[in-house]
Amino acid sequence: MLKVERMSKHFGGVYANRDVSLEVAEGELRGVIGPNGAGKSTLFNLIAGHLRPDAGSISLAGAHIDRLPPHVRARRGVAIVFQGARLFAGMSLLQNVMVGAHARSRAGLVSAAFRPPAQRREEREIRTQAEQCLDRVGLLELADRPAEGLPLGQQRRLQVARALAGRPRLLLLDEPASGLRAAERTQLADLIRELNGAGTTILLVEHDVGMVTSLAHRITVLDLGTVIADGTPAEVTSDPAVVKAYLGTGADHAAHH
Amino acid sequence: MAPVMSRVMSRPQPRTALVVLACVAACVAPLVLPDLTFFMRMVMAAIVVTGLSMLMGYSGQASLGQGAFVAAGALTVAVGTTRFELPPLVALLAAPLVAAGFAALVGVPLLRLHGHYLAFGTLALLLMVQAAMSTFDVLGGALGVSGIPPLGVGDRVVVGQLPYVYLALGCLGLVLLLSHRTVHSRFGRGIQALAGSQTAAESAGVPVNRSKVTIFALSAGYAGLAGGLSAFFTPYVSPDSFPALESFTYVIMAVVGGLGTIWGGVVGAVIVSVLLQVLNTVSSQPGLPPTAAPIMQYATYGALLVLALLFMPRGVVPSVDAGVGRLLERARVEAPG
Ligand SMILES: Nc1ncnc2c1ncn2[C@@H]1O[C@H](COP(=O)(O)OP(=O)(O)O)[C@@H](O)[C@H]1O
Ligand SMILES: [Mg+2]
Repeated sequence: MLKVERMSKHFGGVYANRDVSLEVAEGELRGVIGPNGAGKSTLFNLIAGHLRPDAGSISLAGAHIDRLPPHVRARRGVAIVFQGARLFAGMSLLQNVMVGAHARSRAGLVSAAFRPPAQRREEREIRTQAEQCLDRVGLLELADRPAEGLPLGQQRRLQVARALAGRPRLLLLDEPASGLRAAERTQLADLIRELNGAGTTILLVEHDVGMVTSLAHRITVLDLGTVIADGTPAEVTSDPAVVKAYLGTGADHAAHH
Repeated sequence: MAPVMSRVMSRPQPRTALVVLACVAACVAPLVLPDLTFFMRMVMAAIVVTGLSMLMGYSGQASLGQGAFVAAGALTVAVGTTRFELPPLVALLAAPLVAAGFAALVGVPLLRLHGHYLAFGTLALLLMVQAAMSTFDVLGGALGVSGIPPLGVGDRVVVGQLPYVYLALGCLGLVLLLSHRTVHSRFGRGIQALAGSQTAAESAGVPVNRSKVTIFALSAGYAGLAGGLSAFFTPYVSPDSFPALESFTYVIMAVVGGLGTIWGGVVGAVIVSVLLQVLNTVSSQPGLPPTAAPIMQYATYGALLVLALLFMPRGVVPSVDAGVGRLLERARVEAPG
């Protein structure tokens, strides 16, 4: 389904991704873990098309997508939930999610002006489906509220709903559980499992390693931009290199805070 | 902006009444006003500013040079009818299309600029259009184009100012309807989204560059329509017909009226036009120096902007909207049932 081959990306002297190779099967739920600054978000932005790789290639369902701009990749079925909140200010929650349906709808300016039956039908369908997506993340009661000023947990859930509205084949989730409370986390985990069960291929970056190991079929571990391990959750968590990378930064963290 | 819109949706009655009232006033005004030229200019400004307000308020792009597209529309009519013998009606229909096409063409490189850079880029475009108009004889040269025939079909031609005024009002109505439909559509959502976060809009499937160019061209089309109408109303088009100050005025009208609303452009155009007219009358009183008029105009712009930013940072329409909403709320509380 997704094949990343020897991909590199550097910012100045820092290699954010270095020779990263990754193969994800159709229907797989892949966890991606690694310490802060390991290059996880960079990997996602390269796959979604917001960054251009310096070297290497990406293919989706057998076709190279390297040169496609992000909105075309979205039409091919790639959706991303960004690590930071990137909401559409000035729009309601429902409208935010309706924008997510862009990838699989087509009405343009001309049909907006003349409103033919096909356009009205599409609009109704987009609205209904956006409401369903909001409902799935538990935000339906807030549908008409403006998106700005939402608490962090709701911002994350809104982003997930927006991604769902595009009915993606490949869903990239970059730390979707950060800022969520325990109950919200459990709900999100259930939702991720349910989506994956319905056939969506998912890449999940998450700080909460427990959550990743309980959800993912396989896990890829990044450190300093390179893949240091790749395997089932059991294999990966007992890998000495992984333990070392994690304990190393864990100790760093402890020292900093 | 969104809270305003949702509030509007939840209490449509007073707003509908206001809109009906405004329509009636607009239709009656030309019959009672002594000066139709002033009214016509106001309606044309409203058409231009409705487009500009949509561009600025929904897509977050500013243009200090809408006059360039007004000029494109006016030239289409002026040059089209006098040189290429286009039937007047065809020339009028072509005016918004030519202006929009021109905007789409220059928009591709221009819209790579952001914020202030884009604003100054569009201003530079206006200056270039002015220079081209006075340089090339096809576009009238320094003397301008005169002898534009009246609007009409075959032998039946428009006589007097009144029909043009009503035609312009009809066009304004059409433009408002088109803006409303544009904003409340898939395309309109894409535009608003890219103003919020370009990256997120792209990854949701919004073709960012194409959408920006399209909305830019649409607002230019409105300007071109106004330009085409004005070329029939005042059948003379020269480089001086589109001063930069007028393009700044459009921006001030848009801001005063309220960005991100459909009616903001009209309200801003009316308020600022009336104010300028009053100033004009005052400053042309005997005894005042000839420099009084421009000085007062600039001073008014400054004062308007400061006042708007201080008391109505979102513009008149959203502020009044919220104010009326609060009043109604209080009325409901005080008179239950
Ligand atoms: N736009 C950027 N410009 C410069 N450096 C960047 C940029 N994005 C990421 N980096 C650097 O690349 C490395 C990987 O970052 P990132 O992919 O965000 O890691 P992670 O998501 O695993 O925490 C870090 O050293 C980070 O500072
Ligand atoms: Mg990250």
